[in-house]
Amino acid sequence: MGALRRFDRDLLVLAAGVLVLIPVPLFLSGFLLEVAIQTLLFGLLGVAWNLMGGFAGQFSFGHAAFFGIGAYATAVAVTDYGLSPWVGMLLGAALAAAFGVLVGFLSFRYGLKGVFFALATFAFAEMLRLISRSLEAVNAARGYNIPIRSGNPWLTLQFPQGSPNYYYVILALLALSLLAVILLMRSRAGTFILSIRENEDAAAALGVNPMRYKLLAVALSAALTAVGGAFYVQYFFFIDPELAFGASVSIQILLPAIVGGIGTTWGPVVGSLIITVLGQGSTALVRTPPPFLEALQGTSGLDVAIYGALIVLVVLFLPRGVFGTLRERLGAA
Amino acid sequence: MRTRVQATLLMVAAALVVVACGGGGGASQGGSETIKIGSLHPLTGPLAVDGKRMDQAVKMAVEDINKAGGIEALDGAKLEVISGDTRGEPETASSEAQRMIDEGAVALVGPYTSATAATIARTAERSQVPFIIDVATADSILAQGYRYTFRIQPGSQTMGEYGARYLKEISEAQGSPVESVAYIHESSEFGTSVFEAFQKEAQRLGIEVVREITYDALNVSDLTSELTQAKAADADVIVATGYYRDGLLLAQAAANVKPDVKAVYGVANGAFDLDTFPEDAGDNGNYYLSSNYHYDATSDRARKLRQRFEERTGESMRTAAVFSYQAVEVIADALERAGSSEPQELRDAIAETSLQTELFPFDGPIEFDDRGQNVNAQPIVMQVQDGEVVQVYPEKYAQEEPIFPATPWSEGR
Amino acid sequence: MAFKGRKVSGRSLALLGLGIAALLVLVWGGDALSWARDNRVVLVQALVTGLLLGGVYSLVSMGLTLIFGVLDILNFAHGAFMALAMYASFVLVANAGFDPYLSLLVSVPLLFVLGVLVQRVLLARVMDQPHENQLLLTFGLALLIENALLMVFTATPRTVDFPYAQTGIPLGFATVRGPLDVFGAVADLPRVIAFLGSLVIAGGLFYLLRRTSLGTAIRAVAENPDGAAMVGIDVRRMHMIAFGLGTACVAAAGTLVLPFLSLQPTTGEQFNVIAFVVVVLGGLGNVVGALVGGILIGLVQELGGAFVPGVDKLFFVFVVFVLTLLLRPQGLFGGKP
Repeated sequence: MGALRRFDRDLLVLAAGVLVLIPVPLFLSGFLLEVAIQTLLFGLLGVAWNLMGGFAGQFSFGHAAFFGIGAYATAVAVTDYGLSPWVGMLLGAALAAAFGVLVGFLSFRYGLKGVFFALATFAFAEMLRLISRSLEAVNAARGYNIPIRSGNPWLTLQFPQGSPNYYYVILALLALSLLAVILLMRSRAGTFILSIRENEDAAAALGVNPMRYKLLAVALSAALTAVGGAFYVQYFFFIDPELAFGASVSIQILLPAIVGGIGTTWGPVVGSLIITVLGQGSTALVRTPPPFLEALQGTSGLDVAIYGALIVLVVLFLPRGVFGTLRERLGAA
Repeated sequence: MRTRVQATLLMVAAALVVVACGGGGGASQGGSETIKIGSLHPLTGPLAVDGKRMDQAVKMAVEDINKAGGIEALDGAKLEVISGDTRGEPETASSEAQRMIDEGAVALVGPYTSATAATIARTAERSQVPFIIDVATADSILAQGYRYTFRIQPGSQTMGEYGARYLKEISEAQGSPVESVAYIHESSEFGTSVFEAFQKEAQRLGIEVVREITYDALNVSDLTSELTQAKAADADVIVATGYYRDGLLLAQAAANVKPDVKAVYGVANGAFDLDTFPEDAGDNGNYYLSSNYHYDATSDRARKLRQRFEERTGESMRTAAVFSYQAVEVIADALERAGSSEPQELRDAIAETSLQTELFPFDGPIEFDDRGQNVNAQPIVMQVQDGEVVQVYPEKYAQEEPIFPATPWSEGR
Repeated sequence: MAFKGRKVSGRSLALLGLGIAALLVLVWGGDALSWARDNRVVLVQALVTGLLLGGVYSLVSMGLTLIFGVLDILNFAHGAFMALAMYASFVLVANAGFDPYLSLLVSVPLLFVLGVLVQRVLLARVMDQPHENQLLLTFGLALLIENALLMVFTATPRTVDFPYAQTGIPLGFATVRGPLDVFGAVADLPRVIAFLGSLVIAGGLFYLLRRTSLGTAIRAVAENPDGAAMVGIDVRRMHMIAFGLGTACVAAAGTLVLPFLSLQPTTGEQFNVIAFVVVVLGGLGNVVGALVGGILIGLVQELGGAFVPGVDKLFFVFVVFVLTLLLRPQGLFGGKP
């Protein structure tokens, strides 16, 4: 009975959250709206990562691989073949899922766990980066510039600058991803996934096939990440091997879940918000400091140094991530 | 534990407040008289060396123009700079550009890397605010059909082409024509596109690229293998395209490997014509040639400008920063002709620009074609002589004669 | 952090390796041999460069493997500590006219103390927490250190001259002048010194870990922290010392490479990734493994680049990495399966 209530509650929170977030473009525009869009995007990526790294317990250091596949699939589809980016998104999701299953299968088959698994995912992402860099078929190191298209903006996924429609698209994608994750984790498959995380041997002994359910989590995680990649390309109009598969991308993807609370439903979203606030806050602080800190104005590196310090503090004092700690404190079930 | 949690949450809340204030305060009400120009450069991260100076150059240009009376056509309206840090990241560049446009910037200047230029160009295009690129070499940015993006510096294609041409001309003039080159370049879009343009022109001119050697500029810490391969290629000249760090490594490796070549010749090389190169590379950099964009060292105006910059900031004014300064002048000139600070009208005025510049060794005024590229932009050739970087070709801008053939390890003069 | 379920034994690995080699020889044998003969110099140079590069990689990785092996921490800040040490040496060389190699006497102890402090004040708190928190902490620390360096020193690349470039190194009976000629290939003197340095440090660490009681205590903590505590070892103290040793090692690495690499706040970053690969290849916590692994990776990188010019050299490194993870995740010198 308790599980059912939680299930309902999560869905209620999701619905409420979406309702609250819908009117945001009425209050924010331009710069702040862009920041909001980027926050939602990284929330989506964080949710996707969290499915594999948090719920399934398979810490991934190479999610850029899936992100990049989604981004490149869309870039190629739109630029080289004139297709709609939605097609690219679906294609990218499918390809990323397939790649994820391949990588996952290899790694699990050879018994990689923990740090070793994480490093393997990193290695695969790096290899994709190096390959795409020299492969002429995907423009090698030049990357792709998305051409400005005319036609139905919802089909081409190109809206006028600063249009709130980008916001709605990413909000919808995020909501759908959360929905998928919530539904999965409440289903039988989800229970199996959790049990495998807690104790793989025991779960196997009870008849649960670890490989199948781990790969399920990986596939879905990969697909959702690719969707994020597709949106990125359509929003920024540019992609290259470094932006798609680089190590910093993988790090940016996993940060929200860790900061917000790994293995929790809302952790990644909260984490993405916190990271945005911390990042923008420290930059704004250095740009227009209060009177007593004026001497620091414009010092190169201060804002990122502050950001780094804040991350250290968050880890030290909020070890379960912000959301995780809050949940503990408030004694939530 | 509880107080610590509260303290951290308090900090987060405080940051939120600061952002809100920063965002709100930024849209300054009292700026109705000033014309805002956005300056977008990497102020942090590995590229900050030039980024910081470029930002300072923008500020200095604005100050100079204001001191000279502002924009006459607009009743002496003053210019104001909004600085932003792209961190070398396209996403940050995009949001920063948006922020500036929100705060009323009528033009943008930047950004130093091609990836950030791509996203800023798109933001500028769709917000219809003119964007003048001071430094970014990729030709793809201007191939998108954007109407609001302009570039003063010569692009990769021009650099590669002229590089080949100058090499042929110099070597023939010095009585030792070049027929083959081994080309070492970094493997990203920058090195590749310059190489391809060079190769095409070289082929036309009868110079053969006998070996192409690439390396990853981000991860390399030793270029000895690459130089050995170049030596084995048995070419007349080694051509090199890369960044500063790897330029130093190349000079180091070349001095050890001592390939039997007539010269080491940089094309769009981020090291060989920098004033810190002779000191950092020591004798290993002697006689290194560099076909690159460069401020005009023979121009009085450029010299005085650089002197003032150095006095003001304590840093030397590199070519990139001079481009930033020039970009602001282009905007001011356009404002004068437009008689308006409306971004769209400003853009039209910029497109009609025909501005003579004494800061750069261009054979004609700054004029933009329909892609937004300055048609008269061209590189020139520098050489390290006696521990100094001097201009050697074309003759019109030469401070000294080129010394060719010569390498630090040959029996040259 | 276990790796169970490996299906490959040492013998089958060897057979596999032999099989692949035989295949390659069959297919390309003739061509490869003649290519090798024609390009002898290039190959020998690749060998030499790879060896020297490998020495640098080993240097950087030795500290990391210690930290990884004893504390189980993926130290993201490793490169940042290296840059910090390099700046410390740079300041001494530029302002006080120190011989860069002499500055080792300052940079190494300084970073040792710093490492101990970082472990004591910051990392000790997260030792019991999941790995990702430790990762995040070192990540934040890396950002902090690198940008603090940026604030103080700006991003201008700094260089330090190799003091014996003109004069050579006096060795009593002869003066060694660089660059050295090794069968037709060149070996840059400062890089040779760095290579020798890595051997010395590896030897020193090996001695420390295997032949002293401190070393035994550290290894005990690495292997079985609870057991070690039960025998009366101060686990926390060992952690501090181990981390300090790790940062001290990377400080030595930084100072030794300063004479031939230009210095910026982000200089250490480029070694971070390779260091992880080397540590896995060599076996966590195994200093000799880091030495051998580093050299192997350097050789793979350069030889790969020589044989297959069009491809990014790092690719070969990652192929080796993936193969290691799949076939022998405990590394070359790692403990039992």
